[in-house]
Amino acid sequence: MLKPNAPLLPTPSQTIGPFFPQTFFQAGDNDLTRVSAAAAPSTRGERILLRGVVRREGGIPCVNAILEAWQADAAGRFRHPKDPECALADPDFLGWGRAWTDAAGGYEFHTLLPGGFTDAAGPRAPHIELAVMASGLMRTLFTTVFFPDFPGPNEADPVLAAVPAARRPLLLAQPDGEAAGCRAFRFDLQLRGGAETPFFVE
Amino acid sequence: MDSLPDRFDPWPPGVQPVVPTPGYPGTFTHSPAEAPIRRPAGRGQFTGPLDLDRKLPCDEMNLATPNPGRPAIGQLIHIAGRILDEDGRPVRGAVVELWQANAAGRYFHPNDTTRDAPLDPNFIGNGRVRTDAEGGFGFFTVKPGAYPVPTKEVWWRPPHVHFSVIGPASLSRLVTQMFFPGEPLNPFDHIFMAVPEAAARQRLLATALPPAEVGAGWLGFRHDIVLRGRAATPPC
Repeated sequence: MLKPNAPLLPTPSQTIGPFFPQTFFQAGDNDLTRVSAAAAPSTRGERILLRGVVRREGGIPCVNAILEAWQADAAGRFRHPKDPECALADPDFLGWGRAWTDAAGGYEFHTLLPGGFTDAAGPRAPHIELAVMASGLMRTLFTTVFFPDFPGPNEADPVLAAVPAARRPLLLAQPDGEAAGCRAFRFDLQLRGGAETPFFVE
Repeated sequence: MDSLPDRFDPWPPGVQPVVPTPGYPGTFTHSPAEAPIRRPAGRGQFTGPLDLDRKLPCDEMNLATPNPGRPAIGQLIHIAGRILDEDGRPVRGAVVELWQANAAGRYFHPNDTTRDAPLDPNFIGNGRVRTDAEGGFGFFTVKPGAYPVPTKEVWWRPPHVHFSVIGPASLSRLVTQMFFPGEPLNPFDHIFMAVPEAAARQRLLATALPPAEVGAGWLGFRHDIVLRGRAATPPC
């Protein structure tokens, strides 16, 4: 018998495995600036490309790893009721995207440079949340991408501050030239060993 | 959306799989060696996309007869359940993705090339729906076959169905698998057995419905999935 208000046991995580269907993807799934495949992209912000390579132990690329990105719009708002400024959020910006890595472990997201905001944790520097799922990962990995454009806000960000100082640079995307007329940033993920990407408690 | 979760307790002990996972070599090259870093949860964790059905088509629930008159080979089954939060409240509007091997234990995926089990021209084996107001979802499919994993030690995956659920918050994101009750391979599966607590493994097992309840068209299985998240103020 469950006690009143006793929580249900959550369903455990299991690996996504090597066969997450490629047919689940359609063009534009990795474009956070469109709320649907047919929608026009949001133009309220600076368009950027975020790209990188996912590697496992020994620097070997991970093929068919799945990455999901989630971020605030260019003004730092989420189109979600838990954001007090939800009503002011950019209606044309989805803020979510999904990508899978190719044979070389590469991925890319098209998005807008996120804005900063203040939440329960404190003053937040502009950032993108990343979830990583792959064969060989029994639990989803969560990390956060910050940008070199904002040294002051990065210094004050409570999540970045929770990371040992020596590992903080690993969470900074690196300028990576231009692509398709916008600035590109590189964020490589090393799942295990070497310059291992900092991941957060689920 | 008055029922959005705003409290996320840590995973209860014994629920999350042990990593790296004994018997599953890939976890020893992919699982981070460093301990995960504790961080203050922020708005990015409590929020998530709520209208993904605009982005991802959510209308594929019949995997068993994608082509009228040409059913997939295998035992026809219906899997129905609800997506709930830890308070037992239905999660409406969640995106539920399902994928699986065919009845011969072969995936319709270019990377599944390790043995020559047949593909079924009438079975792709993936679907996506959005939960209704009661958190409900359902799929018609066929029971997947078991298949061997190409590792040094002999390891057969029991029949299982993959689920990916995108709920109302980043912290409620779940990728999991569903197993069938009473399968002799279940206790030998390194992935199923990676979950330490028996009560938590029970969460991964579907419930077979009594045939009299389901009828003669197909076999029925019930499978509820509990996402993390509660109300900060518990319901009375």
